[in-house]
Amino acid sequence: MYRRHSLFGSLWRHAVLLLFVVFALFPILWVISASFNPANTLVGQRLIPGNPSLANYREVFTSEQYPIALWIKNSIVIGLITSTLVVIMTSFAAYAFSRFRFRGRRTGLFASLLIQVFPQMLAAVSIYLLVLSIGRIFPALGINTHAGLIMVYLGGAMGVNAWLMKGYFDTIPNSLEESAMIDGASPFQAFYLIILPLARPILAVVFLLQFIGTYSELILASVLISSTEKYTLAVGLQLFIHDQYASRWGVFAAASVLGALPIVILFLFLQKHLVAGLTSGAVKG
Amino acid sequence: MKRIAVFSLVFALALALSLPVAASVPGELLIWIDGERAPVLTAVARTFVAEYGIPVKIQELPFGDIRDNLAIVAPTGEGPDIIIGAHDWLGQLVSDGLIEPIDIENPSLFLQSGLDAFTWGGQYYGIPYAIESIGLFYNKDLVGEDGIASFEELVELTKNELAPKGIYGLVLPQPDPYHTFPFFSMLGGYVFGVDEEGVLNPLDVGLANAGAIEGFEFFEQLLNEGVIARATPYDTMMSLFQNGQAATMMTGPWAFGDVRAAGVNYGFTQIPSYKGQYGKPFLGAQGFMVSAFSENKLLANIFLNEFVATKETMLAIFEGDPRPTAFLPAAEVINEDPDMRGVMEAAAEAVPMPAIPAMNSVWTAWSDAIELVINQQSTPRAAIQNAVEIIVQTIQESM
Amino acid sequence: MAKLIKGVFLGVLNVVFIWTALFLLGHQAYWVLLLLVLGAALVNFIFISEKGYPYRYLLPASFFMILLVVYPIVYTVYVSVTNYGTGNILSKEQAVTQLQERRILDAEAGNYTYTAYRDGAGELWFLFTSPQGELLLGHAGRLEPVQEGDERFSQLAQFTELTRADLVRATNELSALSFAFDETWQLQMRNINYFGVYRPQYEYIRERDELIDLESGTVYRPVLGYFEAPDGTRLTPGFREVIGLNNFRRLFTNPQVTGPFVRVFIWTVQWALLSVGCTFAVGLFLAILLNDPYLRLRKFYRSVLILPYAVPAFISALIWRGLFHTELGIINQVLRATIGSGVPWLQDPVWAKVALVILNLWLGFPYMMLVCLGALQSIDHEMYEAAVVDGASSWQQFYHITLPLLMVSVAPLLIASFSFNFNNFSVIYLLTRGRPPMVGAQTPAGHTDILISYTYRLAFESGRGVDYGLASAVTLVIFLITGAITFINFRFTGTLEEVRKNV
Repeated sequence: MYRRHSLFGSLWRHAVLLLFVVFALFPILWVISASFNPANTLVGQRLIPGNPSLANYREVFTSEQYPIALWIKNSIVIGLITSTLVVIMTSFAAYAFSRFRFRGRRTGLFASLLIQVFPQMLAAVSIYLLVLSIGRIFPALGINTHAGLIMVYLGGAMGVNAWLMKGYFDTIPNSLEESAMIDGASPFQAFYLIILPLARPILAVVFLLQFIGTYSELILASVLISSTEKYTLAVGLQLFIHDQYASRWGVFAAASVLGALPIVILFLFLQKHLVAGLTSGAVKG
Repeated sequence: MKRIAVFSLVFALALALSLPVAASVPGELLIWIDGERAPVLTAVARTFVAEYGIPVKIQELPFGDIRDNLAIVAPTGEGPDIIIGAHDWLGQLVSDGLIEPIDIENPSLFLQSGLDAFTWGGQYYGIPYAIESIGLFYNKDLVGEDGIASFEELVELTKNELAPKGIYGLVLPQPDPYHTFPFFSMLGGYVFGVDEEGVLNPLDVGLANAGAIEGFEFFEQLLNEGVIARATPYDTMMSLFQNGQAATMMTGPWAFGDVRAAGVNYGFTQIPSYKGQYGKPFLGAQGFMVSAFSENKLLANIFLNEFVATKETMLAIFEGDPRPTAFLPAAEVINEDPDMRGVMEAAAEAVPMPAIPAMNSVWTAWSDAIELVINQQSTPRAAIQNAVEIIVQTIQESM
Repeated sequence: MAKLIKGVFLGVLNVVFIWTALFLLGHQAYWVLLLLVLGAALVNFIFISEKGYPYRYLLPASFFMILLVVYPIVYTVYVSVTNYGTGNILSKEQAVTQLQERRILDAEAGNYTYTAYRDGAGELWFLFTSPQGELLLGHAGRLEPVQEGDERFSQLAQFTELTRADLVRATNELSALSFAFDETWQLQMRNINYFGVYRPQYEYIRERDELIDLESGTVYRPVLGYFEAPDGTRLTPGFREVIGLNNFRRLFTNPQVTGPFVRVFIWTVQWALLSVGCTFAVGLFLAILLNDPYLRLRKFYRSVLILPYAVPAFISALIWRGLFHTELGIINQVLRATIGSGVPWLQDPVWAKVALVILNLWLGFPYMMLVCLGALQSIDHEMYEAAVVDGASSWQQFYHITLPLLMVSVAPLLIASFSFNFNNFSVIYLLTRGRPPMVGAQTPAGHTDILISYTYRLAFESGRGVDYGLASAVTLVIFLITGAITFINFRFTGTLEEVRKNV
């Protein structure tokens, strides 16, 4: 399908791609530039700030009313713990879906997809009440605790994740485990000694997707977490922009840059797995 | 297999029986409060504990979440004993059966308008700590030391001096009925009419009477003439005022911090007059209330009467978040601040924001009407008449 | 070893079960307890019996799924058939208790001061002084007049008098007490300083489920969540009640609710289609360009073009809000400088929709690009070679080979993306909040509201306070729609799974 390009052919390709590069990058560059702009307001910002300074970043780390740096830390911690647990739980479930034939398998697979589309936003009240009563029995998992919030996120561990992972496991030939089991390994040992190492790319992808999802989640976090110092970045920024958005645009920008950084880093780290992982579930069924 | 079952059960029983059983503590006060006032109440709670040995727990919540969370949590028995809140929640909280009358020991210590705001069916339901109303911030470098007395003056000034320099005459948050109400009220509009006994009549909505429409049309005229900057949300409004791109700004005492931080040479006064009549803003009050599901109602009353309604506490609340106080012994100190005096002057013209549940039905439709006019998609008359129709219909339906 | 681990694991689980069971037992939550026991039995069965082996792997994820997703769904179904919402927050039991506790103060009787004592057995005794100066001795609900010098009076001296601090600590005990004056009037605590004379306002007759106003004799009966007098007067608070399918009926017949429903529904579908269509078209186009082995700088382009995907959506939506800002945003500044006038991005119905689609394109095209890249790479090259031999043009190759093969693997993802955007509350909420409002709408609705944000407004901003019942009903309707789409998708991929196995 592809041929060597003529001069014109290569020119228009690069022109079009550059156009999209501008589209993709402009908002990001714009907000990075704002973050170094000491003027700090939306009014009269330029792409190259007049006299760049770190004042906005300083404020992100020192503001007492809006402890943005703390919010970012909270988000990272919650995101890492949730994603790790989700990857563990999902890999178990996906292994069962991929390797065993049991009653309720199809139903389970379908259910895990179906629950994903339930609009949880309006179920927030019931989740709130549920966490409230769980908190009465196990106070460490109650309202306004990070552990409680993580627990709620684990509820969505199944779903597309399990589906993606199962798809990937399906592509790993059975013969590997069978030979291991002939050598005396239990099915569980076969799973974590043979399948998991082979499935590293999809584990990375699920980890990444879950991390992004948790990191960006807004509704449940804002319902379950009530004190400022426990906010996640997504919730805290809502508070901040509500009364300071245009007037403290620079600080918002600095917070955005810092807030996006963990995910961007993780992304670049796991990029090579991404293409393979994202499509495998669909391509290889 | 059996060994596993037996082992795990024995293990479980041994562990479970060695754990202490969770029990709720009676005679403990739980207070829901917003972040700005939490530190003050934590200190007050400490003195209460020292005096009586009764533990007090402070739980911090965003101010705006307290009402909805109370409705969800209180009926489960897990709710607070005391909450902080705005007076306009009163009607709904009372008719939902969520708050309890309060026995104020010495009402003469409070500003009458603050007490009135927290009165429902002849009983007090809250101990007010602050009152507020919007007024006019003005940039002294742009409009002079004394500010602006009338809208006619503002229009003149904008046309002759400000507009040529690219400066707006006035900014206010849009679309926002609370901030736009003075335009409706200045020539005779009101939200709910009052019957002979002084009780609000939810079916008499006066937002589309002749005066209200005339005021609303004047608002549109100011937008069209460029006196008011169009479609500015709160943050943009603040930005424009802070940067000297707007000469005056209509908002309330919560903005003092931001205005001061920007180094604007500002003053604060009441909202200008139009045709010789002053636009009346809403009066709001904030206070402490007692939950109907509190197991410690009298204790909560003691805490509020003896430890919160004191000069020291009220001054500390003011320090944390400066708003005009509703507590007279503290007012002598607080009103020395010229900003606070300005707010008190503005509040003197204010009308209490209706606290009846029907008020719920007013905000959204009203806000939409204002937005349609701002977006130039409807005339003021058509927009507000349609809004009032919806409002009355909604209220009738829920009665 | 493995058995020991299994034993300890199951043991810890059982600790949690027993612990929870004890708590539930203590709170008399027997139905929940029953569910817990059944669940615990199931878990133990799965771990002990060999038959349960596959289910062991599913247990952790399913546990959290059932607790935190399935339970809320069940709860939503329940709420959708009740009138739960503002005005009807309490259970009937709670409403009755509150009404029964209502008391009327005899203002003319005045305040009674008191001194409280505790005898050796810890029981409370009171000496009340009426406003007229009479002394009354109160104990165990009874009152009797006393004089100084009485035997009973001097008896008090032997008891411990409670200090003010003692009184404060005992308020809960004191305020529960009541001393009978006569049949109707009771002496009850008013505040820490005084007692007052009260009588109850209502009496509840449980057998007949009626509430009687003791003064006027009016009988109130429960009607749709309120106690109502024959003349229609309602008592507040109201209470929660199952009202059957009323919420669904309102959803489909009440003009206040249905009015904008159709318009909102149409935009929701348009929005989901546009989002998927635009992102897929751009993503596929870029993927084809980047899949070209002759293109230089492929790695660079790919890394840069996926960057929008790496920025959390809640941040990028807020950044775009700044770019689209009508007064101060850069887009309008550029437009004003070049074509002379800006665009009312977030005020005009059409432009607001355009802004949303642009934002969602920015957010979503990198994902589609990645997916298409993966899919393209899995297409066998020999097919193209054969096509070239047959003399097919690039376009024919794309249309007859690439697209169909691509669709097989990507279609399920497109359908999933459709149902995701169908419910994409956060983008709408963060950029426009559903605004601008519709002209003349009978209920709050905006031009950019999609079903889920419309529901949100209906539930929380409709002007009736919070209406959980109606909101739950709409939620279920939305769930039904997206669930159906998912089902189709599942059948589709499921068929693929079977087909592949047979190959």
